[in-house]
Amino acid sequence: MKEKVLTEHFGLENLYKIDVYQKQGGYRATEKALKKMSPEEILEEVKKANLRGRGGAGFPAGVKWSFVPPTDKPRYLCVNADEGEPGTFKDRYIMSHNPHMLLEGIIITSFCVGINAAFIYIRGEYEAIALRLEQAISEAYEKGFLGKNIVESGFDLDVYVHRGAGAYICGEETALLESLEGKRGNPRLKPPFPASVGLWQCPTVINNVETISNIPHIILNGAEWFIKKGLPKDGGTRIFGVSGMVKNPGIYELPLGTSLKDIIFKHAGGMKEGKKLKAVIPGGMSAPILTADEIGIKMDFDSLVEANSMLGSAAIIVIDDKTSILDVLKVVTKFYSHESCGQCTPCRIGNSWINKIVKRIAEGKGKKEDIDSILRLASNIEGNTLCPLGDAAAMPILSITKKFRKELESHL
Amino acid sequence: MIKIFIDKDPVEVEEGTTVLKAAERAGIHIPHLCYHPAFPPEGSCRMCLVEIEGFPKLELACSTVVKKDMKISTKSERVVEARKAVLEFLLAEHPLDCPICDKAGDCKLQDYYDEYGLFESQFKEVKEKREKKLKIGKTLILDQERCILCTRCVRFLREVTETQELGVFHRGVHSSVNIYDGATVVNNYAGNLAEICPVGAITDEDFRFKTRSWFLEKRESICPLCSRGCNILIEYHPGFARFEVPKKVYRIKARENPEVNGFWICDRGRYGYSYLEEGRADQIILNKIDGENVLTWENISEYLGEKIKRLYSAKKATGIALILHTWLSNEELFLVHKIFKEDLKVEKIFFADPPQIEADGYLLTSDPSPNIRGALEIGFDIKTVDLDALADGTDFLLAFGPFLSGLFSLGDLKEALDKIKGKVLFSYYSNELNSLFDIVIPVALIAEKAGSLTNVDGIVQSFQPALEPPGESLPEWKVLADLGKKLGIDSKFFEKFTSPDAILGEMGKKITFFQEKE
Repeated sequence: MKEKVLTEHFGLENLYKIDVYQKQGGYRATEKALKKMSPEEILEEVKKANLRGRGGAGFPAGVKWSFVPPTDKPRYLCVNADEGEPGTFKDRYIMSHNPHMLLEGIIITSFCVGINAAFIYIRGEYEAIALRLEQAISEAYEKGFLGKNIVESGFDLDVYVHRGAGAYICGEETALLESLEGKRGNPRLKPPFPASVGLWQCPTVINNVETISNIPHIILNGAEWFIKKGLPKDGGTRIFGVSGMVKNPGIYELPLGTSLKDIIFKHAGGMKEGKKLKAVIPGGMSAPILTADEIGIKMDFDSLVEANSMLGSAAIIVIDDKTSILDVLKVVTKFYSHESCGQCTPCRIGNSWINKIVKRIAEGKGKKEDIDSILRLASNIEGNTLCPLGDAAAMPILSITKKFRKELESHL
Repeated sequence: MIKIFIDKDPVEVEEGTTVLKAAERAGIHIPHLCYHPAFPPEGSCRMCLVEIEGFPKLELACSTVVKKDMKISTKSERVVEARKAVLEFLLAEHPLDCPICDKAGDCKLQDYYDEYGLFESQFKEVKEKREKKLKIGKTLILDQERCILCTRCVRFLREVTETQELGVFHRGVHSSVNIYDGATVVNNYAGNLAEICPVGAITDEDFRFKTRSWFLEKRESICPLCSRGCNILIEYHPGFARFEVPKKVYRIKARENPEVNGFWICDRGRYGYSYLEEGRADQIILNKIDGENVLTWENISEYLGEKIKRLYSAKKATGIALILHTWLSNEELFLVHKIFKEDLKVEKIFFADPPQIEADGYLLTSDPSPNIRGALEIGFDIKTVDLDALADGTDFLLAFGPFLSGLFSLGDLKEALDKIKGKVLFSYYSNELNSLFDIVIPVALIAEKAGSLTNVDGIVQSFQPALEPPGESLPEWKVLADLGKKLGIDSKFFEKFTSPDAILGEMGKKITFFQEKE
């Protein structure tokens, strides 16, 4: 059984062109789904596959789709390609190497949910990738995979690429919608959830690039095959993006449940010469930090939750013993303080306050009570904010401060 | 209705309502800053977090819809701690310049700190520097440092006026409210911004630094400056017993009435309050009296009664003319109608109201008088004064209101009025118009008397005196009831009218429109 699913043909020259993609069996899934399957059958298959969201929250995609209520309003699909979580760089690989795989996922998802317009919200910095996506979209229109009456199934779909303007918060699904509507990217109050009240107040499905890219494979190979690729409750593979002090940083598509130790030492080639492992951030910067003795953990949603961390975007940041944990904390707090949208009180002021304390410590002006202050303030942010950014900031700050308290205190 | 539990007490609440509204109904105030009943919940200040059984996190009271048997704690330790935390965050970046803040004493941040805060500041860092005195409107000053980013102002301009002059700029702790490219807030409702700002971020130059809010008494009244009849609060300094501080009106605020003005008033009504105090007439003026010397209203009413009675007995009631206006209350217009139209059969009845204005499409109507609809319902035909018709064959003129001078030049008025032998004016103000009349009797404004008005939509609204009438001023309903008695045509009818309420009661019996409106 072949190991890789999403990245299988990544080595192939010009895979991003539709002819090359089709030679590898591309758009067969679209033909199958639109001509031989009903939307209900597709939904059933995706639900059975236990495909959990690859953006970070891990919400089952099929369940999300089934929340779309039966109304007369138009429905929309938004593909979250904002990829703003620090350490994360998997979606850019998918979109630049194999944009048609994503488009196939978009077509099948839209057909399943009854959507005729889909948007790819891509981070502004990915300009070249956005152009490549647009190229792929126009090829798909030419070949009749987009537009009116796709593969003569009677189904119509238009796809648009929308570039963001550089805010982390726009990766949060409701802020993404606001931004797409041309407004300031502030998260919305939930409920209502986007599935019922989303883009322009219409039912909207929002999925991550990697999530959607799995759809054609589930359609072609079936839910059972997909589950075997990963875990029963967590189907498929995962693209781990490894960065930091390893010999071979990069993306590694591996089955869910692969151990963190194997990813770092087997797949990414182990630590760089002369470096010793100190800590790992396992799922993008928001994920609580793991110490060197915690890396035996299996990399899947549930195992990481059990270890009080999270799989998040599966971006693994490897930290070595020469890196000061105060520097790590400084980077983390600066980032969230800078990226807080400013809408709700605890996130707006809490993150800035913590960042000011950490900066002061780094300037050698730390006070004895600072560590407790950081913990108290982060706890007051956690769980009390309008959107998940507050938690995304508080979790790493709390875990870093608790697990490396002694080292931080040595700076006071 | 469904049953929920707030702080263990069972409460019957409407289905579909929110936790915050349900609690408010039950007499429990859940602190909030960004929530305003005029707008959908915003959920950004995080002050209203409460604990709900079965929910792992604290939930927003402003947006969470009640469910059957929901158990809500508004005072649990967790809730109080969260409130404290939000206050601590807000105050960390707040300038705490309360002594020089106009909003002091009238500030939700102060109130909540007093109730839930009272901690020692742990903030050892440098506060963000922002603009302290941005002119964002004709009289509006924005202090970005005091702003807590509740965005009530931004939402007001987006959802109520739809003019969108304010926005939130920048991100995170640098977020601040501002105008776009120097274009200030220009609309007829701008003054509401200072009122809905829960802190001292937006203040009003019309009020700024003139007095302290805690000296002011809030008195309920109705705005008479157009036919909408917006409900208002007149904020009044009652003076001090031991210091020389004058009694004075300092500002007008909106008073909630969902049927009439919602939560808002227009700037014309808000800033146009000088009519309450400036140039008021406060004593009876006798310019020319034929015969005896009259000094008090008692004497004058005798004199007027006799005068009118004589004309009536001599079948000369046709020589009586009347000028009315629609700042008069329903009760006053009803008495005028009874005395002069029904009993005396006077035909020359004119109206002198302020000239029409431009309506703004929202609250402000084109009628700058509050009771045109009332006059119509009572049975008046609203004819504007025609000076020739007025003077022709008229022996005696009773004129109400100061508005003649806004319609005609003093010269034209003098020419016409010179032809009339006897002339009496009931006016709010002391001005040149008064010199054209034999007797001028000062009268009370709507804010100074009781009565009712019928607004443009036919809503009858009662009001009570908010301010004292100046000097010898009298309410016209009293003047007219006295006159009715003195005339002696139907004296009994007028005897029972010891209050406007009694008059409105009588109106309900006589005019279908006013049935059950008292």
